[in-house]
Amino acid sequence: MQGWVTLALLLSLGVECSLGQNGVGELPVPRGLTLNPDLPAQTLSLTWQSDSSLFDLEIFHTELMNVVLNETVAVKTDPVTGLHSWTWHSPLPLECTSHSAHIRARNQQSVSQWSPLQTIPGSDIPEKSESNMFPQDKVVPVGSNMTFCCIVKEKEDFKEIMYGRQEMSATRLSRRTYAITATNQPVSGNTGTNVICCSQRLTLTGAVVFVGYPPGDEGLVCETRDLASAECSWKKGRDTGLRMRRSRTKYTLNGRDCLEANERKRWWCSSKAWEQSWTLVARNPLGTVQLTDSAQLTDRVHLLAPVNVTAVEVKAWSATLQWSWSVAAYKKLEMVCQLQLFAHELNSTRNYSGPGLSSVVLESLWPDVDYTVTLYCGSKHGFWKWGDKSAPYRIHTKMDRPDALDVWMWMDSSNTGRVFWKPLSVRKSHGALVGYEVSQSSAEEDGWTPVSLPPGNFSYPIILNNGSDITVAVAARNPAGLSQPSTVTTPAYRADSQLSMSELLSTNGSFVLSWQPNANASSGYAVEWVPTGCSGLCPVDWKKVPESDSSFTLNSDSLVAGVRYTVSVYALSTGAPTLLQRWQGYSQEMTPSQSVRELLPNQSGSDVLLSWKATAMENQRGFIRGYTIYLANAAHLELIANISDPEVQSYRVKGLSLSSYKFVVKAYTSAGEDAGATVAIKMEMDTADMLFVGILVPLGIMFCCLILISICCYKKREWVKKAFYPEIPGPKVPGDWSSPQGPLDVKPSPHSLVHIVESPEWDFTKEGLFPVPEEEEESENDNIEVDADSDEPALLRYYNQVVGDGSHGNQVSDSSGSSNTSVDSTQTEITYAGIQSPTSSQGACGGGGYRPQMQSVIGPAEPQIEFEADFQDDGLHAGYKPQCSWQLDSPEAENFSGSLGSPTSVTSSQFLIPESSEEKPQPSNTWFHNFLSGKS
Amino acid sequence: MAGRGTNGRHGSRGHAGRTAALARLLHKECIQLLELYRNSESLPSSPVDGGYLVSIPPLVPQLSDAEKISILHAALKECLRLLEDVITQEDAEFSDEDSEYKRKWKTVRDRLGHLLASTEQLLVEGQKFEAKVKEELDGQAVSGSFRLKMWIVRVLQDLVHWTGQTSDTLRSLPAEVEKAPKTMSRRTRRGAEKIRK
Repeated sequence: MQGWVTLALLLSLGVECSLGQNGVGELPVPRGLTLNPDLPAQTLSLTWQSDSSLFDLEIFHTELMNVVLNETVAVKTDPVTGLHSWTWHSPLPLECTSHSAHIRARNQQSVSQWSPLQTIPGSDIPEKSESNMFPQDKVVPVGSNMTFCCIVKEKEDFKEIMYGRQEMSATRLSRRTYAITATNQPVSGNTGTNVICCSQRLTLTGAVVFVGYPPGDEGLVCETRDLASAECSWKKGRDTGLRMRRSRTKYTLNGRDCLEANERKRWWCSSKAWEQSWTLVARNPLGTVQLTDSAQLTDRVHLLAPVNVTAVEVKAWSATLQWSWSVAAYKKLEMVCQLQLFAHELNSTRNYSGPGLSSVVLESLWPDVDYTVTLYCGSKHGFWKWGDKSAPYRIHTKMDRPDALDVWMWMDSSNTGRVFWKPLSVRKSHGALVGYEVSQSSAEEDGWTPVSLPPGNFSYPIILNNGSDITVAVAARNPAGLSQPSTVTTPAYRADSQLSMSELLSTNGSFVLSWQPNANASSGYAVEWVPTGCSGLCPVDWKKVPESDSSFTLNSDSLVAGVRYTVSVYALSTGAPTLLQRWQGYSQEMTPSQSVRELLPNQSGSDVLLSWKATAMENQRGFIRGYTIYLANAAHLELIANISDPEVQSYRVKGLSLSSYKFVVKAYTSAGEDAGATVAIKMEMDTADMLFVGILVPLGIMFCCLILISICCYKKREWVKKAFYPEIPGPKVPGDWSSPQGPLDVKPSPHSLVHIVESPEWDFTKEGLFPVPEEEEESENDNIEVDADSDEPALLRYYNQVVGDGSHGNQVSDSSGSSNTSVDSTQTEITYAGIQSPTSSQGACGGGGYRPQMQSVIGPAEPQIEFEADFQDDGLHAGYKPQCSWQLDSPEAENFSGSLGSPTSVTSSQFLIPESSEEKPQPSNTWFHNFLSGKS
Repeated sequence: MAGRGTNGRHGSRGHAGRTAALARLLHKECIQLLELYRNSESLPSSPVDGGYLVSIPPLVPQLSDAEKISILHAALKECLRLLEDVITQEDAEFSDEDSEYKRKWKTVRDRLGHLLASTEQLLVEGQKFEAKVKEELDGQAVSGSFRLKMWIVRVLQDLVHWTGQTSDTLRSLPAEVEKAPKTMSRRTRRGAEKIRK
């Protein structure tokens, strides 16, 4: 078994070996292989001699023996040279590294031996030690791919290759060569795209690539300016992006260099003679464009601008313009010229034609107008385009007499009026006006009476002396003369009140008027409009319409919104205008600018009658359609009435209760209400109510009170008797006093009398006898203030009002000697059993003798003033003065407050005021308290 | 010492100060111009292989200040020549459209002319120094657009270097070393002490 296998292997090897020996043996090796590089084109041409026609080719990067091409090609023998030739385009510049190639013949499966290797050296051989990059300054189209190589100089390292600002991935091709491939390259900048090779420390080398487009020029057109030579122009088209001088587009026109385009970057070429056809070739390193044009010279005439344009004869309504041509050949050319006239609102374009046109008459100009003329011409036959424009030339036409004025007369009364005329427009004045001349004539007077007016006047007053018609003629004057006079005769005055005027409704702010045609309107009609109710210098306006018309639209631009106009139509004839119809209306109604006037409320029982007057007409700004009455509440207006009749100017608000009300009355037009007038009223009772409430009710209350008091007194009659009429015990004297008894005569005890008399003497002497130091005085005054109730006068006054009668009764009884009081002057109690009449205190306090207040002279100023005021007041009235008696009554007035409530104080209720009596003025254990509480 | 022959009549301190300020300003503008050019061309900031184009005798400490200024003046003169060549070449090769970079070129050229005129007044009469240019800008030496661009960078690098050197030297001048301007009268100049080692 093992022997068979070995035999089979040997046999197969023997077959292969014999086959190979047969192929080599049959095909001869190609001879004389030579390599011819074209470095800029990056091509390598291989030539050899052989009898075969099919060859295997292999190309290497020599240093690393990398195969860059392995291809079988069929190449026939060149019959002239007898050589085989084949060209290879290398994607890599051939300088980048050394390239080697060899070749062998092939005949189907048979191949010859490889020819000896042929090598072309690159720039990376040791003999070329410097850095280098390839290719240099290549111009390529946008979007192309390109391989660059960097040869690093000897003993230098390699870091990177940058394409513009982009770091590229490099491939090593040899010991010193690295390559990158830029794909889809974008258009370069002005100076190309830099490809830079860097070592770690230096910029070693680099190259610039110019990426752009082939020429994109288009639209060649040739024309003549002088009827002999040619000028051809075209559009540049897309920018090639190639700015480098040697890659810019070069132009030739009919085979001749186009200097204008090549040197001056202009897109036209000139040729001294006209040719029937033209060919422009635009060429740059990336491509060529060919443009053609063909035309007859007469069809491509583009005239130059007229020169020396002048106006030789300028009149008011016309001018003659002349010019010349810089090309003599134009004189025989049939041409058409266009003349542009520029003036304020008077622009126009006029055409003229003729052979060699060099003069025209400009008709239909306007007098006294500044015109600017521009002129350009073209060939009439085979018109190609307008020629260049001449420089603007200024013409000022002369003045002429003004046109006749538009005159109207407006009568504001039966014998006064005013003649109006409209200012003349620039087109009608024919020169700056210097004034107006107004003449008037009447039937009684012969001739005209002229009056000159300055140019700013547009009206003149007319007075009819005897009621006869006056005819007025008005003419305008400018430096060129006087216009034709315009005449108008005074129309008969017709007051508005004499006419039945209809209300004129506006349509979109305009009045559309129509009237019955009138046979007398031989000169047409005049529509006059003036603000209603206007007097004096009114803005009268009018418009004259021909007799064939019987309607007129008064536009909103001559009317003011919110103003009532009186519009009249007159028939015009040779005599005075005749009024045909009159209206009143608003072009646009607005809300009244002012509220109603004199809004007054008038109360009538529970009703209020509101009355007002309409606002003045100039403030109405629309027809008043009615009034609305509102009741003004805190936050809103409550509509209580809407009066749709504007003649009704009052309203009765009924059934109001006693309160305050605010009413708002607003007038309204079709545009809405005004701001409103407000009036306020406070509803008051009438006389009967007042009588009832003011008199009868208090009387009733009083009556009820009296009844209650009476009942109370009746029920407490025992106590009342005890309190007010106690039983006087009979005097217990020795002996029999029982009969006959005389009337009881109680007299004050002598002791008490003395005590009462001494007390004021002490007070008087106190001031004179004890001039105390200031500090003491102040302390005394302090006491006095407290004692004299200056701090709480009302409190004590109240107290005295309540109990005063009793307490004063004590004093009075002391002085008068007629009292029913028992007094213990030295100590203990005084019992007040009765109520003294206040009038009895006059003797103690009134008059000019006794002045207890005088002791407080040295006190603080203000209390003193108060005291004096009180005193004077009391003195005048000589009435009840409890403070006086109370103060003086105390034998220890100097320190009265200290004595209150002390065991030595008088046990009168008047003196039982605690020290804190300011807060509790009412004593708790007085008879009066008992009385009120019902205790017996 | 050389260069000390000054007369104080014109107050040359002010002139030297102005010249130093001018050199400082020019140096700053040259830096800006180099930066502007590198940015517009997307060039790396690493120096270009080849060193400075203009070479001068070494500024050894033994040289007087006036001699140093004279040597630097010679270098600047060569720089101006190189700069004008570069402008001409660039306009011929590339677009001559106006740009900020082009305007800056012109400004630097004009100011360098003023600096040369100004430093000339500080030179010692009779002294003559020459600077050499290692490579010349001609068709042989510079082939290809990239090499032209590298040449421009090298010229700008030289400008930055030599204006910086001049500025430093002028700034370090002591007041008494400065020389009166050349605008002095002929008699004064003749009478001025000629100092030469």
